[in-house]
Amino acid sequence: MLLLGSLAVLGPFPAVATAAEPAGANPWVVDVFYENDIHSRRDVGLAKFRNTLQMEAARKLGATGPFSDLGFNVKLRGTFDAVHRIKDHRFGNQAGGSVSLENGVPGQDYSALFGAPPGTLLGTGPVPHGEAPIALFNSGDVLLNNPNEGMVVLGSQLHETDGGVAFGVPVRPCDTDSRGCLKDYMDASRQELESPEFNHRLDVLREAYFAGTLPLSDGKSLFLKIGKQQVVWGRTDLFRVLDVINPIDYSRNNIYDEMQDIRIPMWIAQFEYRMGASESFQDRNFQVVWNFDKFRPHTLVQCGSPNVILDAGCFFRGMKNLWDNGGTVANFAGAGAINGTPGLATTFGPNQIGIREVNLPGWSLDNTQLGLKFEGVTKDALSFSVNFLTYRSQLPSLRGGITSVHPFTGATGTFPYLIAFDLDFPRVNLLGGSLDIQADSIGSVIRMEAAITKGEEFPSTMQPRLFKQSKVVRYVIGLDRPTFIPLLNKDRTFLISGQIFGQHLLDHEQADGPLGRVGMPDWKDNWIGTLLVKGWYQNDRLSPQLLMAYDVRARAGAVAPSLEWLVSDNLKLTFGANIKAGTGARKFDDDRTANPFPGFTGPPGQATMSAGLGGYEPLGRFRSGPIGMAINEDFVQFALRYKF
Amino acid sequence: MKRLWMGCSLLAAVACSSIAFGATDADVDRSFFPYRTSVPAFPGVKPGLVIGKDNVEPFRNAVDPALYQHLKDGWLEIPVGPTTSLDLHPNYVDATRKNLNKVKLGAQPGEITGFVAGRPFPEEPDLSDPRAGEKLAWNFKYLINYGDNGAITPFYWTFRDLNSGKIERRLNFSFHFLNYKHRVIEPPLPEVTPNPSQLFRGIYAKVLEPLDVKNTQLLIQRFSDDLKRDDAYLYLGCQRRVRRLATGQVTDAFLGSDLMVEDFEGYNGRISDMVWTYKGTANMLAPFFNHNEQKLSDEFKEPDGYKFIAFGGKGGCFPIVSWQLRKMYVLEAKPVEAGHPISKRVYYVDSQTFTMSRTLIYDRKGELWKSFTVGKSLPDHHLPENKGSGAPVDDFFSMVDVQSRHCTTGQFKAHMGGKLTPVSLFSVQNMRGGD
Repeated sequence: MLLLGSLAVLGPFPAVATAAEPAGANPWVVDVFYENDIHSRRDVGLAKFRNTLQMEAARKLGATGPFSDLGFNVKLRGTFDAVHRIKDHRFGNQAGGSVSLENGVPGQDYSALFGAPPGTLLGTGPVPHGEAPIALFNSGDVLLNNPNEGMVVLGSQLHETDGGVAFGVPVRPCDTDSRGCLKDYMDASRQELESPEFNHRLDVLREAYFAGTLPLSDGKSLFLKIGKQQVVWGRTDLFRVLDVINPIDYSRNNIYDEMQDIRIPMWIAQFEYRMGASESFQDRNFQVVWNFDKFRPHTLVQCGSPNVILDAGCFFRGMKNLWDNGGTVANFAGAGAINGTPGLATTFGPNQIGIREVNLPGWSLDNTQLGLKFEGVTKDALSFSVNFLTYRSQLPSLRGGITSVHPFTGATGTFPYLIAFDLDFPRVNLLGGSLDIQADSIGSVIRMEAAITKGEEFPSTMQPRLFKQSKVVRYVIGLDRPTFIPLLNKDRTFLISGQIFGQHLLDHEQADGPLGRVGMPDWKDNWIGTLLVKGWYQNDRLSPQLLMAYDVRARAGAVAPSLEWLVSDNLKLTFGANIKAGTGARKFDDDRTANPFPGFTGPPGQATMSAGLGGYEPLGRFRSGPIGMAINEDFVQFALRYKF
Repeated sequence: MKRLWMGCSLLAAVACSSIAFGATDADVDRSFFPYRTSVPAFPGVKPGLVIGKDNVEPFRNAVDPALYQHLKDGWLEIPVGPTTSLDLHPNYVDATRKNLNKVKLGAQPGEITGFVAGRPFPEEPDLSDPRAGEKLAWNFKYLINYGDNGAITPFYWTFRDLNSGKIERRLNFSFHFLNYKHRVIEPPLPEVTPNPSQLFRGIYAKVLEPLDVKNTQLLIQRFSDDLKRDDAYLYLGCQRRVRRLATGQVTDAFLGSDLMVEDFEGYNGRISDMVWTYKGTANMLAPFFNHNEQKLSDEFKEPDGYKFIAFGGKGGCFPIVSWQLRKMYVLEAKPVEAGHPISKRVYYVDSQTFTMSRTLIYDRKGELWKSFTVGKSLPDHHLPENKGSGAPVDDFFSMVDVQSRHCTTGQFKAHMGGKLTPVSLFSVQNMRGGD
């Protein structure tokens, strides 16, 4: 309704004109383009067949009322990714199948651990979901609500279970299979996966905002920009140190699409007090950003989609399914008890382990998000900003300590170190800054961003609720250098742009357990480096590019060569590839060897934390990072964009 | 090559001698009104003549070597019009008189003292003066190309294949210019305040189309202190982020055109980045004309009926305008930095306006790389709003890359005055606040 109201104010729409018409004529300037983006993934084949239609319209209203200039912009975007139909067996209604889960060390006798006669509980090869040798409270009917179909084994696209934990994860769209779907978070139907903009948040209206300037005295002005929009802070590419106001849609192409295409616009009011020059600054600006929209997290997308960053959507869906319906977990019962070896596959009943619910903050004044920025250019041309933002974490925190069913007695209670969670989005406060300087001596520009946050939460197997808050310092140093490489092009420089992103967890904790390291799987210190080399030929109509990224601690890297060809002003073709190399999945303590139910899962007495037996799932993903977790997702790409 | 050098001829003897004793009002008159008593002459050149490949030889020295070759190759024809005086704004002339002989060059190139406003060195250049070229460069820096401020919108840049004439790409810009200091025509006078960085000039450009580079914006801030490097920022619409430009990017092809940022307006950089050498004075043909009397293009439609300069000739790379004989200074600029992508530029500077009508750009090997033409209309024969502005109106450019046989042409709709150039436009924040 707001959009319709706005359009009514602006007058008839069809007076389309070119951008060339001068101010005063107030024409609509409209651009419409179509894009087809096709990805073919190694060992998978077609992984994207996305068709996008986008319309961008702007109208300058000029001096209007108290505004010296006023304008309205609107962007509509609709996509249809046919891969969910074309690859029905992989990404659609027929995806997945029956799964089997590892069951201890084949031939190893576990009987004594469970008071059974010798030789009656042996480790075997994988057992079907729902048919584990260890069945806990209320798990007898698990297959009624959680049949062994339409599933994959968690992480199987990346690694073997290899003695770790795993469970079946439903992968079909939520209108076909509702198991494990998280309400309003990861519960998309096939139509919503195909056309994500046509959802209840009306993302088809990608942006719609008024922008205007109120002149004040002494050349100062107040700039207002109100509506659905992206607010971009910071000076670096790819990394989000300060650029954290809008959440990100990682479902489009993991971390590899242009940020402007994957930021999720929010209803925001921006106020900028533009003070201009003073005696000591060439430019000063104070900005207030009020994100008054209902909270939205990043789109990590549910399991079964082509781009599930960190495979988090699969972990969440599998865990939600375990909570709702119960299910079988590989190598679980008795894990670690016999020389640190995996345990037997175990079937849990409902409401015992898993993810209970996702607590998305509703709309309230307290849940809105506020940012402040002072930005300036000193008289010596140092360009800088100081930023503060109070916001909600756009990534979920898994908070344990929820009420659950005791899997041995059927009683309800809260149990320390138990892998039963809610997903929460904690309040985070950020203080940071940025600057850029010209380094003449090396012909480069140096860009820097740094921020410290308070309130972020990280998994930790040392904590009774299995998470810990930690302050985090993040920083990026980037260097841009246009460089002639005469051998390749004597007339045009190549842009060489390198960045180092660092992250330091101030309250990191880890310790040595009897069977391995326990604590926080995230690295205390980690760095990711990127290097972009971009060239231009034929008057910039042909542009090859090589983008490389390397995650130091994960020891995983990506190389993404691409070639853009502007066939005409209206037609652009892009050819690309994305190849990863290095270590993929990594192991960490998986909390199997905690003792949340003393007397049942370990010695009686106090509950104790994990002994440290680990596997790839579920916490190894925090060490592998987005590159390592997608190590098998190499692809080649072809995209066509045509402007009408 | 024989050329009609005037140099320190008898005609200019008074001017030459005045260098030693200071410039006079007569120097100012000669500088600003060179055609008051007579117009330049060249044997055989008269209004109505059309110079082309069949008759270029006698007029070889009336044009620069590159233009001669273009004519000889039949790439264009030059219709000759009458020489017309382009009288600059009286305030600028008065400022020159008022501050006469107060300006001194510093010890090193790029240093100047005593400059207030107007033309810093109105006296005739002297070949025996080793810093004559530098003085001409200062005169160029402080010319009033757009008065104190002005804009070009729309501003069509067309990429063309010189051989086939195929139009490969067309960008539409909006360009804006603001002099922070040494203002003489429009308030605020004499400068914009506060101005803590002591900026001299700002240039702001925004791409209006096509879509792939739409909203790309460029901001250049030039300091009064010529030894300070320009600050330049680029806003990339696709990234929605302002990036400071590294030094090397101003000598790189701008958005794929045949121009580098340093080429804008003839020369868009620091005086101290070049070694300037005055090479002489000659009567030569230059593209000065009355816009409204030219054959104009019907290619673009403007609501007010304005029509742009038409292009034709080889590949559509050359303007269809009349040229006139004018008194021109030949000025050579060689980069100080060894890594600069060119070895030199040779400018043909209009002595009355100090605009650079023709520029020949040589590659690092010393071979001709690009041939650059900027055409000027007299302001009283352009848009009604420009009448009486007392500044030459940029009307077209043609940058021909003779090596890759490619060109970029520019068609202007220039607006003199501050209406489209508020100070707030020339800030980094303005770039961020856009679309």
